[in-house]
Amino acid sequence: MNVQWWCSARGIPWKWHWQPYPGVWIAVLALAAAYARWAKPVGDGTRQHEVSTARRIGGWAGIALVWMTLDWPGGPLGTGYLASVHAAQFLVLAMLAPPLLLRGVDPARVRAMIDRNGAAARIIRLTTKPLLAMLAFTIVMLVTHAPDVVDVLMRSQLGAFALDLAWFVSGLAFWWPVVIDAPVREHFGPPMRMLYLFAGTQAHLYLAMWLLLADLPVYGIFELAPRITSLSALEDQQVAGGLLLTLGGTYVLAVISVVFFRWFAEPQTEPSDFRNVT
Amino acid sequence: MSSPVRSSLVAALVVASALLSLAGCGISAESGGSAYRGAKLAPAIPRPSFTLTDTHGQPFDFRAKTDSTVTLLFFGYLNCPDVCPVHMTNIAAVMRNLPFEVTRRVRVVFVTTDPARDTPDKLQAWLSNFDPSFIGLRGTLEQVKDIEKSVHVAPAVADAPDSSGNYQVGHAAQVIAFTPDDSAHVVYPFGTRQADWMHDLPLLARVK
Repeated sequence: MNVQWWCSARGIPWKWHWQPYPGVWIAVLALAAAYARWAKPVGDGTRQHEVSTARRIGGWAGIALVWMTLDWPGGPLGTGYLASVHAAQFLVLAMLAPPLLLRGVDPARVRAMIDRNGAAARIIRLTTKPLLAMLAFTIVMLVTHAPDVVDVLMRSQLGAFALDLAWFVSGLAFWWPVVIDAPVREHFGPPMRMLYLFAGTQAHLYLAMWLLLADLPVYGIFELAPRITSLSALEDQQVAGGLLLTLGGTYVLAVISVVFFRWFAEPQTEPSDFRNVT
Repeated sequence: MSSPVRSSLVAALVVASALLSLAGCGISAESGGSAYRGAKLAPAIPRPSFTLTDTHGQPFDFRAKTDSTVTLLFFGYLNCPDVCPVHMTNIAAVMRNLPFEVTRRVRVVFVTTDPARDTPDKLQAWLSNFDPSFIGLRGTLEQVKDIEKSVHVAPAVADAPDSSGNYQVGHAAQVIAFTPDDSAHVVYPFGTRQADWMHDLPLLARVK
């Protein structure tokens, strides 16, 4: 059996025969191990979880989604055959899995790590600065959807791995300031978070429109792939654009709404209280 | 303005308008070659003369029936898992988007390299999935090999059948484009995109 380590475009007819991708398993196991460590309450093990069971289950669901997205059949389908599956992969790796995982980690452990101010803390402080994270996320999203980049990278296992990793890591950086309160950012309250989410996902809405309205298939890798559905390459591309626009757009809008209603429900500091203090 | 200057200006205008009229009225096969996105052939291949059977069982005189048209000639087979359906899909998709003025001058001819399995009915149904105007032709393997040789294409070779009797046929992956001057100046290998066809078909139709 010809073992592929990572899903990449192979240009051969699709077969519903299971294929092993050991590189995917190793990456998902490493991610699961890291998540298990970061979801565990800091201390001697007697301390209660700060995060709810639902959030921790959500984190494991994020791991499962990453695995399903990268492994057979989703991985090879999205890498070498269907633009629509490729779009779904982007939504999972950059938009859905990162916040699920971040919501499941123990905040006390994150705060302790940030307070120690080691190399990891310094990297996180820098890369999760909202403006920088938003710019990086937008640039990664635009560059990794450029036809020339996609058509070159997805032909090799290393290139396809780089693409998946770029989505996931930039997704983690982008969602960190929204989900995790460490390091403390005093000027990044709910209104700024809503604005951040809106601005940070604008580019992908334009990308979705571009895929939806293009007259011709834009990615050679999908246009020249053996067809496995009755959809033409252009129709498949339109489905990809539609997924990004509807699912991606609705999802971001839902998250913004949650941030808004939670902010709305928070007890507000009354002006009289302020006067009493002063 | 002095007379030599004026005459130079007039000459320049005459040359410019001659060039413009050439660009507007059509391009020569020789000068137009470099403008194509397909792979240029040197020397050009003359349009071959052969007669095969179409999907209605009628003799099809290739030279006579496709004379002075853009003819995209391809050798393939219906069980082909990759190259044939991708080429046909892409050409059909572009034909749907090009103006009638161009598409009325284009013929797509598919010669089967697997006549044993590709019956007329199957061939017609398969091609109609892409575009009902596509022409399917059948002949004996010897006839097809002679035609492939005449257009400088490697002859198709069938693999040994597997345990269930299925087999693949190795065949040339390029589409040969004959232009209205009855020569092929350019071929389109596998990997040709719809954007390439969209660019080249109107140019091919203008070759005189």
